[in-house]
This record gives sequence, C-alpha cells and structure tokens, in this order.
Amino acid sequence: MERLLVLAVLLSIVPSFPLASQAFPTQPPRPTPLSPVRFPPFKEAALAAGLQLVVVEHHEQPVVSVSLSFRAGGIYDPLGKEGLAELVAELLTKGTTSRSAEQMAATIEGVGGSLAASASEDFLTISADALSDQVELVFDLLGDVLRHATFPESELALARTRALSALALELSQPASVAGRIFAKEIYGPNPYGRGATRASYNAVTRDDVAQFAADRLRPAGALLVVAGDVTELRVRGLVEQAFAGWRGGPPAARALPPPPATAATDILLVHRSGSTQANIVLGNTTILPTDPVYYPGRIATQVLGGGADSRLFLILREQKGWTYGAYANLRRYRGLGYWQATAEVRNEVADSALSELLRQLDRIRTQAISDSELAAAKGFLVGSFPLTIETPSQIAGQVANAKLLGLGDDYLRLYRERLSAVTPLAARAAGARLYRRGALTIVVVGDAAQLYDRLKVIAPVRLVDVDGKPLTTAELTPKAAPVSLDPAQFGPHIDSSRVLFQGNPVGTSVATVRRTADSLVYTEHSNLGGGAFQQQVTLVLDPADGSSRRLDRVTIQQGQRSETHLTYSGGRVKGRSATSQPDGSTKPFDIDTVLPPGTIDEDAVAFSVPAFPLESGKSFAVNFFSPSEGIVKLLTFKVGAQESVVVPAGTFQAYHIAVTGSRVPFVMYVSGTAPRRVVKTEYVGQPLVVELVK
Amino acid sequence: MRCIALVAALLAAQGGRISYESFALPNGLRVLYSEDHSTPVVTVDLWYYTGARNERPGRSGFAHLFEHMMFQGSAHVKKSEHFQLVQRAGGTLNGSTHDDYTNYYETIPSNRLNLALWLEADRMRSLAVTQENLENQRATVKEEKRLRVDNQPYAPTFRNAILWPFDSTMCFAYAHPSIGSMDDLDAAKLEDVKAYFSTYYAPNNATLVVVGDFRPVELRRLVNQYFADIPSQAPPPAVSCHYKLAPGPARRDVEDEHANLAAAFRIYRLPPHTDPDIPAIELLNVILGQGESSRLNVGVVRRDKAALQAGMFALTERRGPGVLVAFGIANQGVAVQALDSLIGAQLDSVRSAGVTPDELTRARNAFRADFIHERETSFGRAEALQHYSLFHGSVAEINSDLDRYLAVSAADVQRAATKYLDPANSVVVIVRPKAAAADSGATK
Repeated sequence: MERLLVLAVLLSIVPSFPLASQAFPTQPPRPTPLSPVRFPPFKEAALAAGLQLVVVEHHEQPVVSVSLSFRAGGIYDPLGKEGLAELVAELLTKGTTSRSAEQMAATIEGVGGSLAASASEDFLTISADALSDQVELVFDLLGDVLRHATFPESELALARTRALSALALELSQPASVAGRIFAKEIYGPNPYGRGATRASYNAVTRDDVAQFAADRLRPAGALLVVAGDVTELRVRGLVEQAFAGWRGGPPAARALPPPPATAATDILLVHRSGSTQANIVLGNTTILPTDPVYYPGRIATQVLGGGADSRLFLILREQKGWTYGAYANLRRYRGLGYWQATAEVRNEVADSALSELLRQLDRIRTQAISDSELAAAKGFLVGSFPLTIETPSQIAGQVANAKLLGLGDDYLRLYRERLSAVTPLAARAAGARLYRRGALTIVVVGDAAQLYDRLKVIAPVRLVDVDGKPLTTAELTPKAAPVSLDPAQFGPHIDSSRVLFQGNPVGTSVATVRRTADSLVYTEHSNLGGGAFQQQVTLVLDPADGSSRRLDRVTIQQGQRSETHLTYSGGRVKGRSATSQPDGSTKPFDIDTVLPPGTIDEDAVAFSVPAFPLESGKSFAVNFFSPSEGIVKLLTFKVGAQESVVVPAGTFQAYHIAVTGSRVPFVMYVSGTAPRRVVKTEYVGQPLVVELVK
Repeated sequence: MRCIALVAALLAAQGGRISYESFALPNGLRVLYSEDHSTPVVTVDLWYYTGARNERPGRSGFAHLFEHMMFQGSAHVKKSEHFQLVQRAGGTLNGSTHDDYTNYYETIPSNRLNLALWLEADRMRSLAVTQENLENQRATVKEEKRLRVDNQPYAPTFRNAILWPFDSTMCFAYAHPSIGSMDDLDAAKLEDVKAYFSTYYAPNNATLVVVGDFRPVELRRLVNQYFADIPSQAPPPAVSCHYKLAPGPARRDVEDEHANLAAAFRIYRLPPHTDPDIPAIELLNVILGQGESSRLNVGVVRRDKAALQAGMFALTERRGPGVLVAFGIANQGVAVQALDSLIGAQLDSVRSAGVTPDELTRARNAFRADFIHERETSFGRAEALQHYSLFHGSVAEINSDLDRYLAVSAADVQRAATKYLDPANSVVVIVRPKAAAADSGATK
C-alpha cells in the first residue's frame, strides 16, 4: 500500500481505485497544527542626520517597496489650519525645481513604478514601489521631493478644491458627521479630536505648506523602511547619494493637552432635520499603544463587534433586524487611543438599539465570554495575521507600524502568541477597564424631533445642531416667518454665472434686475449642456417689498417645451404650470392656492436671499412656492461666518448660507457688502457648482 | 533539500517565475499546485469553465446566477456558513463571473487548507439547488443589476457596446451580456438550473489550483478524499463563434440617462488570446491609452482639452474574439463628433508613423511590473496558473510569456495598429446624455 502510494505520487497519477478510501467528512475538518510565522528578519541602522533605517530583505520577487515616515500628521496642524498636513502630502509629489508634476508622473510611470504621499493623524508617509532594478530612480525621486519640492500655487489651488469637495461629500453623510463630532467630544482640546473644515482648508497658504514641510520633514526622527529585493549595503549607498545635504534637527515635539475628564454618561443628540435613520457612536478614550491590556482588549472588542460573527452584528442585525450593521473597534494612535461602537438604525428603534448596545457592553464587562466565542475571535485575529505579510510592501507596512508606535522589537514576533494566550477572564477584565460604562460619550445624529423623547429616558440628552451649537427643543420644529426684504439691494444689475459639473463648465446662467414704471423685473436665462436644457424666467415683483406679482417661465428640456404662467395676488397664486413625467414628457396642471403670508416664488431664491437681513449666526425659515410641484416648501437658511470666496468675477467676502428643505440641500455664498450678490452656489453631495463670472 | 530550495529561490528572483506540478483525478478534475513556504498562507482557487460564453439563447444569465447560488449552502454547510467558517479561520474568500470562466477562492492560514478544500468539495458535490434559493438569488441578481450596473453613468451603454462587434446569430457567446436577460432568468425552471449545475459544475469541467504553504503528499491525500468520488458528467456542448475582422465600419448613436456629458467609444475586434498578435496589441493598448503619459491622455485630454478623460483598454481573456476599446468623455463645449475625430487621429498616427522608443520602453516596463506584482501573493500566483491553463497552449508559458512581450518591436506595434485599428474593423458608439445636468442646476 505504502509503496503503491509513493509510486503513484512519483508518476503524478492517482490510481483509479481510491487508495485512501476514507469517506467524505460530514463535519468541517479540524485545523492541523499552526505553522510558525517566520517574520522576515530585518536590519536596523541609525544613519547620518538622525534618520532611522529598516531594511527587510525579501528576494522572492524583484520588487522593492519604500516608505519614509515623519511625525508630521494632522495632530501637528496649527490651530485653524487643520488639513495642512494632508495638503503637504498631496503637494510633495506635484513638482520640484527640476521636474513638473507631469514629468514626475511620467518618470515613475515610465519604469512601471508608483510614488505618492499621505497623512494620518500621527504621521506623514511617502511611499514608493518599483522593480528592484529601478531602485536608484526611486531614491533619486525621493531625494528630489524631500530637498527640492516647490509646492506650486496652482497645484495647491487644485488640491484645495478636491479637498473641499471631498469634505462636502463627507458632511452630507450622517455617519461621517457622527464620527467627527464623537472625536471632538472624547478628545476635547487634544488635537486627535480636531478635523479639517472649510475655513481651515481655506486658511492654508502656500507659505504654510512650505513652512510645515521645512519644519517637520527632517531626517532626524524620520523612519525609512525599505523592503524587498535589495541589500542593506545597497540601500545605505543609495541613501547617502540621494539624501546628501538633507539636514535638520528633530522637529519640535508637541505637548498634547489631556482629553476632558468625562464623569458621567450622557447623550449628545445632533439634529439633522429629515434623517430617517439615527447614527449612533459611543465609546471613550483608552490607552497608549504600548499598554499590554491591548491584547485582551482586542479579543474582547472582536467578540463584541469585530464583524459579521460578533455579538452586536448577530443581535442587532440578524436577530432584531434593526440595522444593516453594528460594529466595535479599538483604535491605536501614538498617543492616547479610543474605542467605539457604531450602528445605523431606523428612528423608531433608536432607543431599543441604544439600550441593547449598552446591555451588551455590560455583559462583556461583567461576564466571561464563552469558549466558542473566544475560539472564533482568536481564530480570526491570529489566523489572518500571515495574510497581512505576503508581499514586501505589506511587510514594510507592518514593520513601520510597530516602529512608529513604539510597540517594541518583539511585537511582530509575539503578536499571535500574545493573542492566543488571552483567557476569558483577562478579556473580561480588559473590557471592564477599556469600556468606561459610567463615563461613555454617546453621539446620536438624526432627526431630533423624532429622537429626543425616545433617548432622554436612557440618559440625559444635550441637543446641538450639526455644527455643535446648542439647540432647544423648541427650535426643532422651525416655524416659517415672513422676512422683510431690504429694498436697497434691489438695484438694477446683470449677473452672469457659469455652471460647473465635476469642475468642468457645462453651461451659463444670466440674471438681470431692471425697473419699469411700477415694478421690478427679475429675469434669469439658463443654458446647460449645449442647449439640452434652456430656461427663461421672468418674475415681476413689487419694488417696495420684493413680493411676487407674476411669474412667466419657459423651459425647453431635450426639445420638450413647457410653460408656467402664474399670478400672485391677495394671498393666492393662480395660473397654469407643468410637471415633468418619468418618461421625459411634461404634463400641464392648473394652480389656484391660498398661500401663507410672506410666501415667495421659488424662482426668486437668488433674488431674495441677498435682500434678507443677513447676519452671521442668524437663521431664517421662509415659505417658498414651488411652481413645478404646486406646493409650498419651508426652506431654512442658516447664515454662517463670512469667508473669502474666489470666483471668476473676483474675490469676495461672502456669507456662507446653508439651505435645507429643498430636494438637494445647497450652500449659497452671498457677498457681504452692498450691492449683495450670490457669488457661488454649491449643491451638497453633488459635483455641481454655480459661480459668478461678472 | 535545502539546496533545492535555494535554487528555486534563485530562479524565482529572476522575475516572477512560478514552479508548479499537476495531476488529475479519474473523474476529470485537473489539479495544479505550487509550493511556497515563505508565509504560512495557502490559496485554493477553483475555476469552473462556464461563463457568458457557454450560455445559449433563452437561457442567459445562468453563469452569473450560479456565482450567487454557490454561497447558499450545500449538504453539510448551511447558508452563510461558508463565509463564517472561513472568517473564523482568519481567511478571505470570494467568487466572480467572467466571459469564459467563474472562479471561487479562499486565501487562508495554511493549517486550514483542509477546510478550504472541504468547503469547495461539498458545494461541488451537493450544492443546494432549491426553488427557494433560486428565487431569492434571482431577486438578488436583479437588485445587483439595478444598483451596480444600470444606475451608473456609461455602464449599461458600455456593457452593451462591447457586444455589438459580434453577430448574435453567429456568435451568441460574446454577443449577449454576461449578467444575462431578466426575462430569461424569470423563465428559468428549477430543472434547467439543476441541469446547468450538473453539466458545468462537474469535476471534469473545472481546474483546482492550490498555491502556498502545504505538503504535496497531504494535498493529494485531501483532494483524493474530498473530490475523487464526485461523478464526472458528459462534456459540455462545444461553443462556436464565427466572426469576421474588418467587415466594414459601423456606427451607433445612443442615449444614456445617467450620463451628464457626451462620450465616444471606438470598439475594435481582436483575435482570441492564443493569437501571436496579442502581445503587440497589449503594448499598443498601453501606449495609446493607459496611464498619465499615454497618447490619448497627453493628446486629447491635456493638449486638445477635448475630454475630461480618455483612454483605452483591451478585453482579451477569451478563447474567442476579444475587443479593444478607445473611449473619451467630452468636455462641455466640445462636440462629441469632434472628440471622436481627435481620438481617431491619435489612433491613426500610430498606424501611419508608429511609436517612439520611449513609448515602447514605458509599455514594456509597465508589463514587466504588472507581471511581477500580480505574482506577489499566493492568490495572484493561483490566478496566473489558472489563466495559463485555460488560455494558453501550455501552462509552461507562465514562465516564458513575459519574454514575448519584451520582444515586441516598434514595427510589431505599428503592424498590429494597422491591422486592428482599421476603420472597417470598428464600431463607433456616440453616447449622448438623455437629460442634461439640468435637474438640480436649474434653480441657481
């Protein structure tokens, strides 16, 4: 039998009768003994000028991966310039004294490699990948970037635009809003709690970028990890050659103010009008990365909410059907880390879901976890580790992470053992220490009008708006109030604007105001998509108070013409309008409706808002009549601070006005000095912008 | 032993070389494996030779439907348990449907090789093809089509456009969409689905590849125990595809309801993957349309400012004819017809004047880097073995194929351009937005 088997193997055939005639197992087979992970050995050296070098020789494939990290992440952004580190990272590879951004891209692409930089909270990292015979070029480019980056103004403008549109998208998503507010709550004045804002991105100048790079991107204290098909000797030679003359003492350390001492659990309810879901985030700050409670804490967090196999997911989603997903995670920084649990649930079950989250927290803090849950959590955490060190760049990432967080030389070697050794009692003790049940921060983002009463029975509720400003329950249901328009803003003028889609012009819009003997006439002519959409609005208004008298609107969309003609008089609107059908055609309908006092025609938004009594911090809730829908809509205008807005017509100090209640929320920028103008309009979460040209 | 390992390591260092062995079970299951003990990880990758290619008129969409059915449980694995067992072992898994094959794979710590093989064997031998599973997966597929395909700008147009170079009466295989027709799926009876499973999910219509940290004796023992008694089936019917290069120029004008900007596609027929012209075509594709330094990007996007984005890509992983697609999304104010002409001018310039030495070097380097990067992980090597097994004359080409790409000359690229970028070989598709970006832009 044995000989036959050997023979069969040698001949690469399997005999036609089953040799090992074992039946197919009806249970999943048991694991065989775990193979030891031989983490590739690495060499370390302290180089001239204080640069720390790690080389992981890995000759399996002819590739090299390089990462160079600095303590230059977001926590080092100056106050009011949050986002600076991120912009520095973006601009590093966008031009040097001898290469333009395009030449830089063509050079690295020409050899089949890549080069880019990014910033996290703690670190700014430049990463490059190339075949090993191109490693010299990679170091040449790295040296060029570090010593001769020029941070061109035009590239800063481009990077800022991209960052602002990414931010707008982020703020349109309630989960991101919840995460930002949660971080701010748990960290307080500690910089881990700060996030970039429109104002902070706009405050960053080219000088700031160059200064930050000069101050923080220095060899002293930086970590260079080179992994792949290369030797330490060769790397040392390349570093000497490419970084010659690169000097600078260690960047200034930064004293981090302590996070606030939370003494009791309460709920911060962030009002987001109209949300159908509640986004819950709860947690607290935890430990420094070197604290050994990390290992049992990691296991406990995995059991609590580590994935589709965890308690939160199985109970909140699979059993109760309250949410699409519920998770918990433990996050390490170089400073104090945090843990959080998150769930997005329907409004009606927000209180039940939050209570269940807290119940599960109590359970894992007080009861030992079962052997099967422990085995599943360890199986995932211990088992998945080798999948993260298959390639040189993955290995470099693991080594860099351990070094940068100061996790100790044996961290990678002992990682699996330390997790395997965690007992149910140790996991419970870690849970009791890490999850501060009596001093949790709970953030809920959603429609507070629906959530306030449900949540206040669980814990005291503090009510704020999405900017963190306190609200009263009375403010949750805005009442429309007529606004008196300022006739001084009604002067005759012509405003030409352009419409941008994804940054590209797609059309124009021209608005004019003129006076006739007894009226004001506001017209607006729009042409988008090369004639695919054309609209002519003519609105006759009362010159004394700007109230609507008559609307005539002609729209041609994809060759389909539709008309609206309305008369406003005696608190009524009468006439004929049209609505678009799903098939692209339009359907006319008659209008004859009583209007609440102070209702304005929706076509007059751009005309009326500049004439509002604008003032930073004020809000207006105004009724608008929508001719295409035949209904009155309550729009809320929240006036923010003035900011500097650059459009083709020039640079304006303009109010940031957030408008909600329309189908797509939007932001208008209205110049602060008379005659006020709408200089820019942005649609939240849409790549669509309207800018004043002249 | 050590000595052999050292030699293997040296060979590997030359650039992505893969050593492998193969065997077959009496039921026709073919097995390829490649040992690598550098990390205690193993990938199990199973390709079934079924894709849109094997579907027949009135029965389209089955290949993709099965990718879903395969996660609905089998005799000894409950619904969603497959996922749970792999996750608890620390592994990852997935599956995907292609024109010529459907793959299923697990990358898992090497001490759970037995689990991955057992899971694949259990569903090959006893997949739960039930009415209930059929109905809920049919609904899932429709949802997927609605959200991931139909709801994206240009995506439905593109999926249709790549079918147009072929005549569905002569080459149904590549002339119908791989996601299938919803009418066909609705009409599918449980018996049809069962018949499809037994024909196409048979051991003799599949290849199993295992790469990573395992002992071959143990692998053979497990494969034998788990797969040997699964019965083989009659071979699937042969697929025929008749097509003609350069039958004459064709043009279509379409409207795309999710697009905000007009776009131009030029679609050219390509020969099957085994054709000796393929390396030159692939380099031509890189030079014209891949990366920031490509001709379409430098010329049409940056210099002419006619397109928001322009590029090219090739679908060549087929045993039948493929397609080469040049595309551009028009900037506002640029007539889409003008954009199409500018794209055409870039293509014609390669036909008439060839490519520069720098361009050729860039394209070769891009290929070299791709070849090597694709083979860095056990999963990448497993997929490469599967690819050579199905699409090449011999698996051994896995270690010589790169040389063919590096040997392509500027003259070869020009010759390929002249032959395949012939206007008579093209289908020009002009895409216009159905509704301009007017909806939310109207109220300023």
